[in-house]
Amino acid sequence: MSSRGPQSVSSSTDALAAILQGRQRTGREVVVDWVRSRTLANSWPALAGVAVIALLLGLQQLIEPGTMRLLSAVFMFVALAQAWNIIGGYTGYASFGQVVFFGLGAYVTAVLMNNYHVSFWVAMPAAILGGVLFAVLIGVPLLRLRGHYFAIATLGAAEGAREVINNMTPVTGGGLGITIPTFGDQAPTAYFGKPGFYVAFLVLAAASVAISTLLARSRFGYAMVAVHEDEAAASAVGINTTVVKVVAFGVSGAIVACAGAFYAFQQIEFYPTDVFDPSFTVLMVIMVVIGGSGSVVGPLVGAVGLELLSQFLRVNLGTYNQLIFGAIIVVVVVFFPQGVVNFFRDAWMARRFSLLDNIRRYRL
Amino acid sequence: MTQFAQAAAYGVVQGGLLALVAVGFSLVWGIMNVINLSHGAFAVTGAYVAWLLNQHFGLDPFLAIPIVAVAMFGFGYVIQRGLINLVVNAPIFLTLLLTFGLSLVILNILQLLFTADDRTIDTSYASQSFVIGTVNVPYGRLAAFFLAVIITFALAALMTRTRLGHAIGATGMDRGAARLMGIRARHIYAVTFGIAAALAGVAGTMIATVGSFNPTTTPGQLTLDAFVISVLGGLGNMYGALAGGLVLGIAESIGGLLLTGTWVNAIAMAVLIATLIIRPSGLIGKAQYGGRVEV
Repeated sequence: MSSRGPQSVSSSTDALAAILQGRQRTGREVVVDWVRSRTLANSWPALAGVAVIALLLGLQQLIEPGTMRLLSAVFMFVALAQAWNIIGGYTGYASFGQVVFFGLGAYVTAVLMNNYHVSFWVAMPAAILGGVLFAVLIGVPLLRLRGHYFAIATLGAAEGAREVINNMTPVTGGGLGITIPTFGDQAPTAYFGKPGFYVAFLVLAAASVAISTLLARSRFGYAMVAVHEDEAAASAVGINTTVVKVVAFGVSGAIVACAGAFYAFQQIEFYPTDVFDPSFTVLMVIMVVIGGSGSVVGPLVGAVGLELLSQFLRVNLGTYNQLIFGAIIVVVVVFFPQGVVNFFRDAWMARRFSLLDNIRRYRL
Repeated sequence: MTQFAQAAAYGVVQGGLLALVAVGFSLVWGIMNVINLSHGAFAVTGAYVAWLLNQHFGLDPFLAIPIVAVAMFGFGYVIQRGLINLVVNAPIFLTLLLTFGLSLVILNILQLLFTADDRTIDTSYASQSFVIGTVNVPYGRLAAFFLAVIITFALAALMTRTRLGHAIGATGMDRGAARLMGIRARHIYAVTFGIAAALAGVAGTMIATVGSFNPTTTPGQLTLDAFVISVLGGLGNMYGALAGGLVLGIAESIGGLLLTGTWVNAIAMAVLIATLIIRPSGLIGKAQYGGRVEV
């Protein structure tokens, strides 16, 4: 028995005791409650995630460096798709300039490592910080716009940022590109090599999926969905929509900037047109939409499936790969407008697998 | 001073040409709330049609315009009726994706058929210029400019004075009500898209006459310019694209004179962002199109 007097209760109901006594839970009680609340039903995503990571790390021992490079690209797109899903899927603000954070992250990293000989482990956090700051800077004015206008304004911001980098020749090397020193004494951080980048991008992908999952289940996640569904109503129930939108944009920007930092180091040498390539944005959007936006699994499936498919097409179909890729986008948009994952989930629940219903959904 | 006059004259004629690209884009956006990322691809397709007619039959590009327009109208009608109508009620990024996929398909087919080489339509008057004082304006560009202005006015007349135009406008304002009044929205949407495709084809023909085009870089640039001009001019008004095109054309040519390096490429983006922040409804657009919701 504890010495709390007559109201004392057994330790198995710490949370209840705290509520009954009208006090905050102590740190120990919070931890105990959290551990007790874990069941297989609510912790399977984390367990599955750990299992997949372990499996992929084990797989690394079996595969060629070339395959590692291919899978690194898949992991990077998983992170990018998750990042776009936070602002485009959950919050409903379709950014068509998310590549700006990628380019910014890449250039912050490269400039710091090349011009100032800073370690990668300092440059990468700086790139993330840069991404967040830029997201706030452009997010505050641009997130007032809606729909197409927001999409185009972000596209404009990305194109504009590329031109700024392109013309800041003394700092960024301009159109001639920039090179990160990776040899001998010149190298601030030893190059990771293909196996190293495999692990790095795997960690990045895992972190982005984890962030996305935690966000989706949090109070903030519900706020994002509320803004998506009806911004005026969300505002009316006391959600500060500006803060929600800017924070979602910032988190998304941070993940993309981090991916850009790793990509820059992996590429060693690159040009503004490489890292500000609008097709990165387009791929992010396609992966999220085809997988299914507004969920964690959708972008994951979309990114893995589409990146593997596009690698396959590039290798096997040569000049026709873009044509087939475009045709696949058209077919998927028409037949699976809500995304492949969402379609199968809903169809499974309703026991009704009809593609015709899908076409009817948005038809005129 | 001469330099500025020359740049301004060039900007005006270039702006007219850009306006012709943008007017169809702005029409589709305003009426059915679809951003057509394949607009540039349509323009280049039209340019190839005119180029083929010129290569095989020696047809002057200005005489080829009716053929290009009819062909592109049919193409646009079919695409809208058979494809875009299927997702026209979907969230915006689906229509964006669909038209992006469509443009990939069109442009890759063009590239397989005609290679990625730069093409141009040669005319006997390409090198001759109209001269006022010290300012030179090539005849081809001047004709393209006047054509763009005439087409814009003709389109405005179509929209305000004909039954078809009223049907298009009504469908754009409230599709549900328009359908209750007996307007066939599917057909009207397809006609609207067909008109936009025809205008894009004509614009592509003009671009091929006064400059050069290819299936890799030209379409993206044209679509982006059409974006900027539509936002700048504003939606819901046919003259918006003309005003936006002229402003952008002049801003870029004067800017090219004053700025070094590739800063000139950033002008369009700066204009775009400034417009969106200061006046989201555009120069002469109707405010209702700024943040509207579809039924």
